Amino acid sequence: MTNLIFLPILIPLIAGTMFVFFRKRLPLVRAGTQIVTILNLAVTAFVTYYVLENGTLVLQTGGWDAPYGIILVGDGLAMSLILTTNIIAVAAAFYAPYSLDKGREEFYFYTFFLILIGGVSGAFLTGDIFNLFVFFEVLLMASYGLITLGGTRQQLRESIKYVLLNLFSSILFVTTVAFLYSVTGTVNMAQLSVRVGYVNQTGILTTIGILFFIVFATKGALFPLYFWMPNAYTKPPAVISALFGALLTKVGIYSIIRIFTLIFNGNIDYTHTFFIVLAGFTLIFGVAGALSTNNIKLIIAYNIIPAIGFMIMGVGVFSELSLSGSIYYLIHDMVIKAALFLLVGAVAIVAGTTDLRKISGLIKEFPFLGWMFFIASLVLAGLPPFSGFIGKLQLLQGAFENGHYVVAIVALITSLLILISVMRIFILGFWGEGMDLPQNTRSIRPLYFPISFLLIFSIVLGVGAEWFLPYIQQIGVDLTDPSVYIDAVLKKE
Amino acid sequence: MLQYAVLAPFLTALIVPFLFRYIRAIHTGWLILPIPFGIFAYFLSQLTNISEGHTQLSGIEWVPSLGMNFSFYLDGLSLLFSLLISGIGTLVVLYSIFYLDKNEKLNNFYVFLYIFMGAMLGVVLSDNIYALYLFWELTSISSFLLIGYWYERQASRYGALKSMIITVLGGLSMLGGLILLSIITGTTSIREMIAASDTVLESPYFTGILVLILLGAFTKSAQFPFHIWLPDAMEAPTPVSAFLHSATMVKAGIYLTARLFLLFGGTDIFFVLVTGFGLLTLCWGSYMAVRQTDLKAILAFSTISQLGMIMTMLGFGTKEAAFAAVFHIFNHATFKGSLFMVAGIVDHETGTRDIRRLGGLMTLMPISATLAFFGAFSMAGVPLPIFNGFLSKEMFFQTSLDLETTSTLVASIAPFVPALAVFGSIFTFVYSMYFFFHTFTGETRGQLKVKPHEAPIGMLISPIVLVLFVVIVGLLPNMINEPILTPATAAIYGELPNKHIVFWHGFEPALYMSMIVVALGVILFLTRTKWQSVYNWIPGVLSANKTYDYLYNMQFRVSERTTRTYMTGSIRHYMLYILIFIIGATGVTLFVTDGFVIDTSDLAPISWPEVVVGLVMAIAAIATILMKNRIAAILVLGIVGYGLSLLFVFFRAPDLALTQLIVETVTVALFLLCFYHLPKLDTKKQPVGAKTLNIIVSVSVGVLVTLVAIASHSSKKFETIAHYFIKESHHLGGGNNVVNVILVDMRGLDTLFEITVLGLAALGIYAMIRLRDKGEMD
Repeated sequence: MTNLIFLPILIPLIAGTMFVFFRKRLPLVRAGTQIVTILNLAVTAFVTYYVLENGTLVLQTGGWDAPYGIILVGDGLAMSLILTTNIIAVAAAFYAPYSLDKGREEFYFYTFFLILIGGVSGAFLTGDIFNLFVFFEVLLMASYGLITLGGTRQQLRESIKYVLLNLFSSILFVTTVAFLYSVTGTVNMAQLSVRVGYVNQTGILTTIGILFFIVFATKGALFPLYFWMPNAYTKPPAVISALFGALLTKVGIYSIIRIFTLIFNGNIDYTHTFFIVLAGFTLIFGVAGALSTNNIKLIIAYNIIPAIGFMIMGVGVFSELSLSGSIYYLIHDMVIKAALFLLVGAVAIVAGTTDLRKISGLIKEFPFLGWMFFIASLVLAGLPPFSGFIGKLQLLQGAFENGHYVVAIVALITSLLILISVMRIFILGFWGEGMDLPQNTRSIRPLYFPISFLLIFSIVLGVGAEWFLPYIQQIGVDLTDPSVYIDAVLKKE
Repeated sequence: MLQYAVLAPFLTALIVPFLFRYIRAIHTGWLILPIPFGIFAYFLSQLTNISEGHTQLSGIEWVPSLGMNFSFYLDGLSLLFSLLISGIGTLVVLYSIFYLDKNEKLNNFYVFLYIFMGAMLGVVLSDNIYALYLFWELTSISSFLLIGYWYERQASRYGALKSMIITVLGGLSMLGGLILLSIITGTTSIREMIAASDTVLESPYFTGILVLILLGAFTKSAQFPFHIWLPDAMEAPTPVSAFLHSATMVKAGIYLTARLFLLFGGTDIFFVLVTGFGLLTLCWGSYMAVRQTDLKAILAFSTISQLGMIMTMLGFGTKEAAFAAVFHIFNHATFKGSLFMVAGIVDHETGTRDIRRLGGLMTLMPISATLAFFGAFSMAGVPLPIFNGFLSKEMFFQTSLDLETTSTLVASIAPFVPALAVFGSIFTFVYSMYFFFHTFTGETRGQLKVKPHEAPIGMLISPIVLVLFVVIVGLLPNMINEPILTPATAAIYGELPNKHIVFWHGFEPALYMSMIVVALGVILFLTRTKWQSVYNWIPGVLSANKTYDYLYNMQFRVSERTTRTYMTGSIRHYMLYILIFIIGATGVTLFVTDGFVIDTSDLAPISWPEVVVGLVMAIAAIATILMKNRIAAILVLGIVGYGLSLLFVFFRAPDLALTQLIVETVTVALFLLCFYHLPKLDTKKQPVGAKTLNIIVSVSVGVLVTLVAIASHSSKKFETIAHYFIKESHHLGGGNNVVNVILVDMRGLDTLFEITVLGLAALGIYAMIRLRDKGEMD
């Protein structure tokens, strides 16, 4: 049974590698990718269900016992995020063939894409902090491939910044792992938790923790470390932006949640208060970015940042409720960000531009697209009964309960500004006089399927919240009690 | 049962697009008219039950884990509102059938309208705060869509967005207040909160909660200074204005204040805020209404003013005032609804709503004129027993005189209240007369595009029904007293009011107040051209609208300016910010947590060759930065790499030394190959300030990392897992070279994926070389 949790990494890795050899046979690769993503989704759904019902699965790779070998830990948090990842993967697999140019498809888009999915899954699964670094490298390298794919001038200009800053944070990552290993003598996360707790997280360990936080906050696009993100994410085609926006920054946030609940939980007054302050700034500056531009893709990209603010706020508040809120918000945000990027991608195809000042009246020609965008905007802003509200409500409750009024009110105001930032696209782009549409654009009808697939999931996640929430709340409870994770990993004989 | 009443409009909204598409012969409105009527009939059937003091509770669970449930509660207050929503809803749908042509986007219209209807029923029936919030926001959203119904028009889009921003802002504020309430009381049910009202009253957050929730109520019910969205909402089709923006949605704030009256009512702060803003809104709205030239704008400001009046009464906190408020909610819905419909008829039949161009319509449209007469005179509060508006207005005057002056604060404010009430009512009288006489009497003032004639009978039915209520309730007010007003008041105040409504009270102060209103109103109405210039003084150039526009535009300007300041696009800047943040965050942490320790006991002796190599590496590293030539720089950098391999040799790691040597050689060679194609190194001089900053930052990062490294080394507390690897390498791993066993076996997964990384890098580079945007190459 435990071997099953390796499948979400293995299936895309093998498929991605195979497709390298069929570069020119696009119909095969496209269909193959779609089948593989659906297969992977089915497998993941099964494993997730199994884990949520029966408890954490731990795989000791190569048969080397914890804490010596590399451990993969399929707990509720990891599996639910992998499941979400694969939902997005399916949507991307069905969006890509109808939106990408042949060149990009032939030059290994599908390989990069699949291995990215595998890398992300690996990062969620691993219980070894050095192995986490390795999976970060896998997903980053796949993202370097994707961000430069096509080689347009603008892409390359932004790519170089993206690659350099990510390389820098990777260097800092591996250095910090070395520091941590020096102090604790281990890289197994469960054992790290035990050992850091054993010495009451001395000053140097808190410092190392902050360094980790900086590493992941850079990947996760937190204030003031997100400069590389908005422009880099908007230059590649929409489906790549969607993958980046939905998955990459979220791995950083996941790592913060994991590390700062499991390992560095000994000086919460200091570290987590720091997070709350940063969360407040992240909310404000992020949404200000979204209000600052007329580029529809950039509006969505900037909206990644305040969402991160919401999640970090939950980590900062550090209660069962707020952590559950963070995770719910995380899952919600992955799905809706992917959907929004795919939506603006479709808008860009039919309008021939991403400049909002040049788009108007699209709803007459594309009512379905318009209403999907409208609903997606409400989901993003966290209005009930959609998924954003379920997460946000728990976050707000958690913040109010623990006396963090300022950040809670900032969060409320931010919600309004988020709504304004996306509703502008609806009002200016979809309402108004009809525009002269460019001729001979490709049909966007096939794109409706992957978009509505994600949207329906978003709606189910909100309206049907009760199906998911007890599990997520249990994850929140488990996160506040590291012994659950430690027992699963270390006491398993 | 209640949940089905709420659900029915939503389900109808779902099928409307299909009805519209497949049954084109019949106006969609006819097909769905029975729904609101059925709901109305259902609520009507509950009248006796409720007036006997029974209540009804039913619902379905939604997210019980968060206490979110659709639990619906029917008492006197929610029944009053439900009747208004479904009753006027029926009339509005009927009216809209004649108002909107079959060629309009009826599918959109009725979907939005029915979503609104369901949401509004949800607001007034929900007992659960989160369900209340959900429906509350849903009314804002559907109102947004209805205002923007004619979305090609700039004004519609502007009005739609404005209403949404202001009401959603209030909604979020209310959500904050409700969350705090639920935390204090430990429940998400409004009834249970009211049962725990003592806890709320004693809570230190009482004022905060009250302000947050009132902000929600005030924005929704268009209280000053949030009233500005309502006049712009008049861009919606007139049936919408009659339904949402006068009879129902704008009363949601009133409903909320009334519903939570038992939690907050009777406190000084509640009185000051609710009565204060209510009076301000009453006076401002009626004063501004006189100035308007658009029929619907007059009615919009009139609605603002009337909402202010109801709010004022709720603020009074007495039982009589609560009763009067309920009575006026009912009356306002009847006369204002009919007036809006008449305005729509005038617009429909004459092609204009500009009152300056209208006049003398009485002879051409006698029925509409009669309807307008009853509506306007009832609104003005003319003391005749055929106008329901007079009855509730006089109660307003009476209650303003009977304030309970138990606290000094209330006592000091109370004397001004009647005066302001009269002031606001005078202007109400003026604009009501203005609305009626200027439209229907006198000469036709402008050229109309079409020859006006009376509206079709279908369009007249709805306002006739409403006006019948105006008259009947005026004549026989106690007919609705026991079944509707008394239970509603009891639900607000918690006690039965036992009030009998009479037209004639005798010569009482309230009557004198009414007389003053009529007398001064007539004078001001007749002389209104003489004193119009007062509007140049007040409000003059001041305007809440301008403030809104300023704030709205400012958010974009400020956002753009701030974002542009730091999003420079320069990797140097980004790097600088990030490094400064690292120095700050890590440095402060190291200092605050007292994390720095130094312990030399575990150090190996340092030999001279090591020192020399170390120094050479350091010098080479610094020299790299100072080189003016790329090739020289990379060669000097090579020294660092080779130095490192030497150190590996000293530390008895020959395989690492070899690897390092190969890596270094290959990279230097590759760099040299690439650099051949690059332009000369840009040696532009940096300003001294920037250079100094860069030096400080670089040195600080270096120092900091060194300090953390030393401290990490000095804090070794545990046996490392490395010992296990060394011990078990041969025995379990079957290899004598521990590094090899680790790489291929113990941590084989790392290696597998590092290989993947290399493979990906190769593919990426190949793709970059082969696939380039040819058009952009130069």
